[in-house]
Amino acid sequence: MSDRVALVTGGTKGIGKATAHALVRKGMRVFMNYASDDKAAEEALNELNASGNLARTIKADVSDQQQVNAMIDRIVRETGRIDILVNSAGIIRDGLLMLMPDSNWHRVIEVNLNGVYYASKAVLRPMIGSRWGRIINIISPSALLGRAGQTNYSASKGGVLSFTKSLARESARFGITVNAVSPGVIATELTKEMDERVRKEFLSMIPAGRFGTPEEVAAAVLFLASDEAAYITGEYISVDGGLT
Amino acid sequence: MEKETLIEELKALIVKSLKLEDVLPSDIDPDAPLFGSGLGLDSIDALELVVALEKTYGIRIPDEDVGKEAFASLSALAGYVIKNKK
Repeated sequence: MSDRVALVTGGTKGIGKATAHALVRKGMRVFMNYASDDKAAEEALNELNASGNLARTIKADVSDQQQVNAMIDRIVRETGRIDILVNSAGIIRDGLLMLMPDSNWHRVIEVNLNGVYYASKAVLRPMIGSRWGRIINIISPSALLGRAGQTNYSASKGGVLSFTKSLARESARFGITVNAVSPGVIATELTKEMDERVRKEFLSMIPAGRFGTPEEVAAAVLFLASDEAAYITGEYISVDGGLT
Repeated sequence: MEKETLIEELKALIVKSLKLEDVLPSDIDPDAPLFGSGLGLDSIDALELVVALEKTYGIRIPDEDVGKEAFASLSALAGYVIKNKK
């Protein structure tokens, strides 16, 4: 796996960063995409490159097709390939539908769903050319169960899951697999900001009795990215402590 | 490049990139549709052909509207390549 090149969108924080780290540990060259937070990107880069020089950061807004195309062109120009795409960039703008500002609907769809479309479309030519590829989309229990206050988010993630299944059928012939990973409640910056009541409510729903770690999600992504997972496509793996 | 020469070259490229084991380049009718009837190629095969053509000739087949025109027949494809080749 060591000569492979991976792009992780939303790759400088949380689950994306842990995934980038797991791929780097396998000796892969990893591009960590981010949209705006230069400071976090620099910190993530220093962290990942502490034991080698395999990681790079690459700035682009995944909801902007021109930026996504430019990013992927650059990776292919510099390395000659792109083997693994992890669509991990995502945003949340929770709120009940009746009172939801329209902009919160559109922005979530633009980033979480259109972003997956742009990036997946752009990697298909190089992946078909090399007859090997892995596309792994990060989804959510919201896509599977629904959650009050998350119509926009669950629609975007449910859309990504269906997209995953259809694209898997289009690309299986070329040695490309397309799968999803559904992380439950994962201890990240987001959960740190949770208030105590919400925290308890979540914990009561999780059979494992704790939040997951970004590394536990990364392990599932790493498996789907491996040669061993070549016959798995159009599937999703929940990493949620039994939540769903 | 002469269109006739290019047609022969494209026949070989199609047979090779789509791994058409039972088809000889000479079996391909330059005026028959490439997909659907004829060779029995499907639209997913076309993806691989698009990638091979883009790589070999530096052309771009950006979407299916262009693809339909280019893949109408081998002769049409040769015309498209000649017009757009870098």
